[in-house]
Amino acid sequence: MELLKAKTLSSPVAWRSGIRQAFADVPALAWLLGMLGAVLIEYLWGDTLAVMLYLPKVPPLFGATLVLKKPLLFPWALLYGLLIYVLPIGVIARVSAATANRVAKALERLPVSVSALLHLVLLYAVLSIWTENSDYRLQVSKLIMIAVMLTLSINVINGYMGEFSCSHPGFMALGAYVASVLTLVLFKDNRLFGPALLPESLGPFLFPLVLFIGGMAAAFGALIVAIPSFRTRGDYLAIISLAFLFIVKSAIENIEWVGGPRGLGGQPHWSTLPAVFAGMILCIWIINNFVRSTLGKALNAVRDNEIAADAMTVDTRRTKMVAFMFGAFWAGVAGGLYAHEVRHVTPGSFGIQMLAEILAMVYFGGLNSVIGSIVGAVSISMISEILKPLGLYKWIVVPLILILVMIFRPTGLFAFRDFNVRKILRHKG
Amino acid sequence: MAFFLQNVINALQWGSFYALIALGYSMVYSILMLFNFTHGDIFMTGAYIGLGVATALLALSGVMGVVVPGWLLLIFTIVLAMMLTSLLGVLVERVGYRPLRDAPRASAAITGLMIGIILEYSNLAILGTRRLNFPTLIETTTYTVGGVFFTNKKILIVGIALLLMLALHLFIQKSRWGMAMRAMSFDYQIVPLMGVSLNVIAPLTFAIGSSLAAAGGILYGMAYPVLDPFMGIVLGWKSFVAAILGGRGSILGAALAGFLLGFIEIFTPMIFPSTFRDLIAYSIILLILTFRPYGFFGQAHSTQLRL
Amino acid sequence: MRKWKTALVLALTVMIAFVFIACGKKRQAVIKIGVNAPITGDIPKVGEGTKYAAQMWLEDVQKAGGLKVGDQIYPVELAIEDNESKPDSAVKGNTKMISEDGVLVIVGPQASKQAIPAGGVANDYQTPMISPWSTNPDTTLNRPFVFRGCFLDPFQGPVVAKFVKEEFDFTKAAVLYDVASDYPKGLAEFFKKSWEEINGPGSVTAYESFTTKDTDFSSQLTKIKDSGAEFLFTPQYYNEVALIVKQAHELGFNNPIVGSDSWGSAETVNLCGADCHGLFFSTHYAAAGAQGATKEFIDRYQQKYGYVPDDVAALTWDAMRLAQQAIESTGGLSGDIKKDRQAVRDQLAQIKDFQGITGNMTFTEEGDPIKCAVIVRISEQGQFEFYKQVCP
Repeated sequence: MELLKAKTLSSPVAWRSGIRQAFADVPALAWLLGMLGAVLIEYLWGDTLAVMLYLPKVPPLFGATLVLKKPLLFPWALLYGLLIYVLPIGVIARVSAATANRVAKALERLPVSVSALLHLVLLYAVLSIWTENSDYRLQVSKLIMIAVMLTLSINVINGYMGEFSCSHPGFMALGAYVASVLTLVLFKDNRLFGPALLPESLGPFLFPLVLFIGGMAAAFGALIVAIPSFRTRGDYLAIISLAFLFIVKSAIENIEWVGGPRGLGGQPHWSTLPAVFAGMILCIWIINNFVRSTLGKALNAVRDNEIAADAMTVDTRRTKMVAFMFGAFWAGVAGGLYAHEVRHVTPGSFGIQMLAEILAMVYFGGLNSVIGSIVGAVSISMISEILKPLGLYKWIVVPLILILVMIFRPTGLFAFRDFNVRKILRHKG
Repeated sequence: MAFFLQNVINALQWGSFYALIALGYSMVYSILMLFNFTHGDIFMTGAYIGLGVATALLALSGVMGVVVPGWLLLIFTIVLAMMLTSLLGVLVERVGYRPLRDAPRASAAITGLMIGIILEYSNLAILGTRRLNFPTLIETTTYTVGGVFFTNKKILIVGIALLLMLALHLFIQKSRWGMAMRAMSFDYQIVPLMGVSLNVIAPLTFAIGSSLAAAGGILYGMAYPVLDPFMGIVLGWKSFVAAILGGRGSILGAALAGFLLGFIEIFTPMIFPSTFRDLIAYSIILLILTFRPYGFFGQAHSTQLRL
Repeated sequence: MRKWKTALVLALTVMIAFVFIACGKKRQAVIKIGVNAPITGDIPKVGEGTKYAAQMWLEDVQKAGGLKVGDQIYPVELAIEDNESKPDSAVKGNTKMISEDGVLVIVGPQASKQAIPAGGVANDYQTPMISPWSTNPDTTLNRPFVFRGCFLDPFQGPVVAKFVKEEFDFTKAAVLYDVASDYPKGLAEFFKKSWEEINGPGSVTAYESFTTKDTDFSSQLTKIKDSGAEFLFTPQYYNEVALIVKQAHELGFNNPIVGSDSWGSAETVNLCGADCHGLFFSTHYAAAGAQGATKEFIDRYQQKYGYVPDDVAALTWDAMRLAQQAIESTGGLSGDIKKDRQAVRDQLAQIKDFQGITGNMTFTEEGDPIKCAVIVRISEQGQFEFYKQVCP
């Protein structure tokens, strides 16, 4: 036994599998507790440690921003990460694993939503403490969460239904503009629409409603693309959606009362962490349920063979329409959140460049997969944040990474994976 | 009347570019069933290569003290740039498309898009952010006929574009290689079993498409002599619209749709306020596709392609 | 196994040793200035000009040993953030510079579509920001911490209208502008308004637009020619100017074409050639006719980077100098970044008759400068000649 252990730990590969073994029975709950501990430690002592390690400040994104700007500091940022994140998470997760497993087991007897809610509360606590330390961190997290929503919503159309839709920035623009106009008309005194109709203090409570209406506007806009899709597919639909993108941009440019090409500004800063977090979780939850429902399976059927699906009593028209409207709805909600985070929208920013970014995220992460979308949005956002100091060369490196991923994993990193909440939250020992 | 005719001439010139670029899309499309999203940026690179060749030729003739007539320089520039750019096309096919031939088509579209971005930013990194001026090879002369103004460049551009389209048509219809390409466009999985190698035909398609784009780029440089690394993006996407609008894989359709798009874009601001140009132009395209869902010459069955 | 363990233990020991050595070290006070520039994205040239001008300024300061505030000399650092010409990246960049780098003042972003949202962030965090290039009124509106270094559109439009009326006594004008770009659109609107005030309604016979990145203007120009306009006003950037002027001539439109300060780049003549000779434009900065500090800046820039600077580089240079002057006149930094930012802001608002290379500046209540405009003629040799000065 002793010999066996010695042998297994004699090479880095074995180290890795050894570590994996040691943490095999740690459930999600324990990991979350570990993270909570880590962010609490950072919150309390992060600054002190950063000073000790020559770091000018607590590294906001695990030292990622330092790699290229001040490479000499990077080892210290790594050490910081090791001491603040890796060690505490590992230790707490390991120590609390037994208890957490018991709790998880008990929770399994209750409806899954109770368990999910508990985990989400913990996750939210982790995020809010982590972002407490730095506003930059907070903003990056919020924009990443918005990107996750966008990527997921385009995955419904491009991944699950298998069309090549190019109109997503257009849907997002519709949502962003409708939501912005609503908040400006209802809650803000401003130059374009005159005095507010309702007191501003009501605003944050009605904000979800505003976002919903923005999403619905995008969904109805999607009908322009969805209806031609009854008769045509693939490439022809791709250019219909592209035409839609040009049309939306040009239409907004011509509507002077929303600012025209100069854009619409002055939205209140309502995309707070809880709002964006709630939006993202709702989006993930609903889209995950949607794609696992009968209708979601019908989408896959339409993708794989439309005629066969039709023969098997799938109402292809309804399916296509619902998918487009559903994808567009969430893009619109993401647009509304984006508008209330950036607080100024111009039609020009919802163009081809944004389209290329969204497409990169969804195909990098993986088609037909909720996890893939999350991974794609997070990693592309992080990579481009890390590589920013490269300047022009960033736009040579990022595409190269994407090309390599496409060559070695043509459907993306985590394509065709089921996202099973029960399985993730399950006890493991 | 003069006003109308003037716009017809404007539209013919503008449509030539769409048509030339759309042909490249259409060729690749009909054979590999792929969107070659790099094409707009190959067009851009072609224009820059043309600029390099033209500058080098001008310098050379200056050093040797020979006065070479402008048209000869232009022909040399176009031919050399077409050759060089076709090499780029082959490279793009080798790096970005061949490894993904069995992958979902959308993945190849993404690699294409990414290679395009690499081309744009490599250009910026190498040549700097300055906009470059395309050298004047042929002095502009303006003619007036009944109040309609046109220049020798306009005639040349439309003429060369039509000539190249005709050459392509003849190549595809009459030559053995053209026949192989037509065969491949029927079914690129079966035809290789008959002894036509896809690994030869695919690079050839890319080479021809890219050289057409390069010719387009040089003509573009003559007409609009300010080059910019991002000039291929919008033009490329719009030509993509034209290529599909023409009907999948139809050469004639792509050329016609290119000219049609040119006419729509020129005539909309003539009739309506020009701020509405994109709105109206693309609404027309959307309507066309709603009622003719497979473009002008496309067929509903995806395997039935024509070249 | 032993080797691995030994290595690990050794590494940890070294690291911990460093930690203890590091404990005694104190952070040194530096002045950080943020630059938010579009280094990648649609307008890389603007980003490059911004970066170069800022770096040139930094060199000067470093040569002097740092910034002398009160009786202490502080070293200066630049934090340059790329906003990728996207509003969300500009906002992120500002947040990062303010909360992570602890900058005292921010210069940039340039284009209004980034400067407006980024200005919101700067104002929320009470950090002074100077946008050298943004002409949209919203950038500084109700934002005490945001300033700009250029004209507002309402000023330049009437200047051009008055100039043309006085000079040529024309009555029919045509306008061609980029509808999707903030600056040309605003200028076109104000020009139209003041031209119609002078010449009565309907005197702008053609008011045509196109979209950013368009290169073919033949349709619009044909319409303009057909409308019988006596001259064309086109407040576009130099790359479009070259195309517009050439195409206009090819279509037989040989009336004068008048421009705005966006023409004021040496590239205009490089790209446009003889077609542009003899045309007029209004500007704050005339590269060829420049004297004194302006000439010195242009020469240095050209020597260092190989081309004549654009207006954006000159405006950035002025913005950097403005920031420097404001910091120096605070009379001493407290070390509390919040207080210092407030102090710098107060000094910026009080600046009177700042001698910039793009003209003399005094800030208004809204944080906009008051400057004089000059009318420049492009000579037959392709030089920019000073023609007339117009002050508000």
